[in-house]
Amino acid sequence: MAIVKNEKKKAGQQTLGGLYGTGKVKKRREWRGFKDTMYDYGRWLILWKKMIKISLSRGFVKGLLRYRWMYYYLSVPYMVDKFTLGQRDEILRITHTALDIIVDDVALVIKCCLRADRRTGNDKAYSEKCVLVDENAMVSFMMGFPDLVALEREVPTLFSSNLINKNSAVHYIDVAQAYGIPGDVCPMPETEAGISIEDDFVVGGKCAVQVNSTCDGSMLGNSIIANRLEKDYGIPTFQMATPLRHKEEDTQKYAAEEIKAAIRFIEEQTGAKWNWKAYFECAKRVNETTKHRWDWLDVNSTDYPQFFGAVFSLYNDTNYMGNCGRSLTFPLYDRRVDALVNKGFKNKCMIAPEYRHRCLVWGVQPQYAFDMLYWMALCWGVMPLTDMLSMVIDKPIAEEDTPENREQAYYDMAYLSENMIMRNHTHGGYKVLVDELWEHCERMNADMVMLWEHIACKALTGMHGQFEEQARKRGINLVWVAHDLCDPRIYTKQAVRDQFNLYMRTIMREEPIDPTLEVLQDDEAW
Amino acid sequence: MRDLKHLNYFENLLTSAHNDLVRQAKEEGRICAASVCENVPEPLFNLPGCFGVRLTAPNTGSLDISTYYMTSFLCETSRALLERAIEGGYNFADCIIAPDGCTMINRAVENMELLNALGQGKEHFFYENMEIPFKTDENGVNLLILQCKNHILTPLKENYGIDTSDAAIRTAVREHNKICDLVNRLGAFRKEENPRITGYEFAVFTLATYVCPKDLIMDKLEETIAEVAEREPDENAYRARVLLVGAEMDDPAFVKLIEECGAFVCADRFCFGSMPGRTPIEMNESEDALTQLCRHYTYTGQCPRHMNLDKVNARRDYVDKIAREYHADGIIYNQIKFCDPWGYERATAGAALRDDYGYPVLSVDRPYNIQSSAGQMRTRVQAFVESIEYKNIKGAK
Repeated sequence: MAIVKNEKKKAGQQTLGGLYGTGKVKKRREWRGFKDTMYDYGRWLILWKKMIKISLSRGFVKGLLRYRWMYYYLSVPYMVDKFTLGQRDEILRITHTALDIIVDDVALVIKCCLRADRRTGNDKAYSEKCVLVDENAMVSFMMGFPDLVALEREVPTLFSSNLINKNSAVHYIDVAQAYGIPGDVCPMPETEAGISIEDDFVVGGKCAVQVNSTCDGSMLGNSIIANRLEKDYGIPTFQMATPLRHKEEDTQKYAAEEIKAAIRFIEEQTGAKWNWKAYFECAKRVNETTKHRWDWLDVNSTDYPQFFGAVFSLYNDTNYMGNCGRSLTFPLYDRRVDALVNKGFKNKCMIAPEYRHRCLVWGVQPQYAFDMLYWMALCWGVMPLTDMLSMVIDKPIAEEDTPENREQAYYDMAYLSENMIMRNHTHGGYKVLVDELWEHCERMNADMVMLWEHIACKALTGMHGQFEEQARKRGINLVWVAHDLCDPRIYTKQAVRDQFNLYMRTIMREEPIDPTLEVLQDDEAW
Repeated sequence: MRDLKHLNYFENLLTSAHNDLVRQAKEEGRICAASVCENVPEPLFNLPGCFGVRLTAPNTGSLDISTYYMTSFLCETSRALLERAIEGGYNFADCIIAPDGCTMINRAVENMELLNALGQGKEHFFYENMEIPFKTDENGVNLLILQCKNHILTPLKENYGIDTSDAAIRTAVREHNKICDLVNRLGAFRKEENPRITGYEFAVFTLATYVCPKDLIMDKLEETIAEVAEREPDENAYRARVLLVGAEMDDPAFVKLIEECGAFVCADRFCFGSMPGRTPIEMNESEDALTQLCRHYTYTGQCPRHMNLDKVNARRDYVDKIAREYHADGIIYNQIKFCDPWGYERATAGAALRDDYGYPVLSVDRPYNIQSSAGQMRTRVQAFVESIEYKNIKGAK
């Protein structure tokens, strides 16, 4: 592909490897030129303000003393720095805008969790209004319950704490394995199981809904959590099934019936009544999100991608799965990001001095835990156009309240669930995992695929040979980068980067744009 | 005990997926429908003019090619099946109908499809993938009915002209129940204090019912039952009675290994075993056959993929019930290495059976072909048998 050169000289420091030391945090903040450094520093201060605010919320101090995972949140600013590496101008502002709402959203979840938690905040009346939902659930079945809280207690405990500190899951993985769960299963549900075995989740809520969204391991691990909830805490738990072959017509009725059953269960347990008006309002917001996301992907199909990397993925994840149109704030941020994306595109804003390759990032990704995608662009000029987990919802759902649409709505909620972040490509047959990758490559003019090979994800590795052979046939450069998701003991950060470095040097025969980034001594970093 | 007359014959049938009886049925012009999982209603593969075969890969050695396609982290069952398919070992099949039961088996069959590993030269060969219910409820039953219609009955009818009428399904279920009856009568001998059949022998006969045309083995099974009924049992032939629980297990050598260590495998609760796979299907005349069949499979299935909590806990009760019925002293939970569903089920149910139900439990993972790791397994089973003996001695005191 033709190399795209940055017409503007990048302000501030040109090489970034010097920022990394052997400690838990970087040696110093990045110098981005006066204007961007001030902007970045201002956001950093605002972040601290948010952290102080949440630390004053009900049950926070008790939670800090009770839950092992709570203290990781003290290092949130490091996470934000990690995801703004090397960024300037609009790209920096897009990342900060998106991170703003992501941090707000996670802070809100923590606040709600502690408030409802019987051990800390213990607000009983509030807890009665909470429905515990699976971290991997698309909360579409909550769209018509405006007065209930979808309490995603696994998000702060596992998911977002791992964004902040890569070692956050290690202890719980060990607990699960000591219990007898094998070491070869995906460490993510294994961590959840470990947290439940150790009884380290917050306990609250009137009832719970679990899903089978991600994988066999996640589904089976849920039984440990459900038994803990029902037997030890008397919280009734419903298991909602979503079909695997979600592209097939003959599975849709099953999926819709499951949604109905979940709604019925919540109504019975909480006494709340499904509200169609609220549902269709949420549906409108979901559609707006979908439209924006596809607009951003269109921009990423040009020479000047604007919103990309881990934060693009995180933003989609939080927006769709965690909120599913329930948040009034997300559309405002969608619009702000959209304006910045358009401005950045107009100004030909770039993160690196040149883009040598246009890369699609596929597979089950650990990129939340570190800055790999930005690093690829900065070190090697490989631009990550989008990733598998962001290629989710692609059609609008019914948003007008009519009798026909009320029946259609169950199918739409099922569609959202079937296409949740971690499953719409890993399940449903090879067509959605392999064939659709090549379709996206063509649409986004990608000449390279970086395939995250999560070694314990059987759905993905089961197609290893097919990826390899089909990429070769299509003349696409395919680089495998193996990892073990939230267990950094199996592949360290540098071990992950080394795989990419090796490919770029030996197969592509290229030299890095920023050689100081090639090898970093950051194994101890959060 | 004296050797059973037909044991060697049945053992030979198990040495190849393309065994003599499969060849015979194919020569008779019958259609062979292959499958890979217990969650597919088996009688539908045995409609008139058709016979079903659960694929196995006996004597598996190298898994190099399938490991390239699926990496070393997928379970050896899925890799062994793919390897055998690539080698051309399943070209006798006229179609393969695979459930999306677990991810790994699903990927194995998808690789077969993408590599055109089956059906070469067969104009009407087809691959079908089915969605299988995740829960034991009526929504699941309705799903299974639709899936069976769309992915088994319609393609069999359209491609091979198989009669898929209600009457044909009832005939197939009747034949299925005959096999179940034979297997269960044979299995009942294991309840005796001095059993007249070994766990290994029973595993061989039972496995044959999954991998051979059923009608072609019925007479020999009848003869075997009569022979076992007259057989003189050995006294004190074992040191402990164990119930074997777990995943896909089509390797009777594993049962043999356990029995060589002094344990008698008194009951089997695994895929390819008699429980629940050989539970008779009860039918009435008032409801259509397909619905009843699908209800049976949805509710009697013991696969860990069934995720509703009452079913999760019912699986443990089921194991406890079998253990009591067959007087088991201990339970061996096994999984094939890298199997996610059974990895969790083994850990959680094993712990529950030990802590809540009070059984000694051995929890192990194993390779597809036990011969590749026989020494390690032998040591673990020996230690387990000793621990049961020790417990019994302590209990007696």
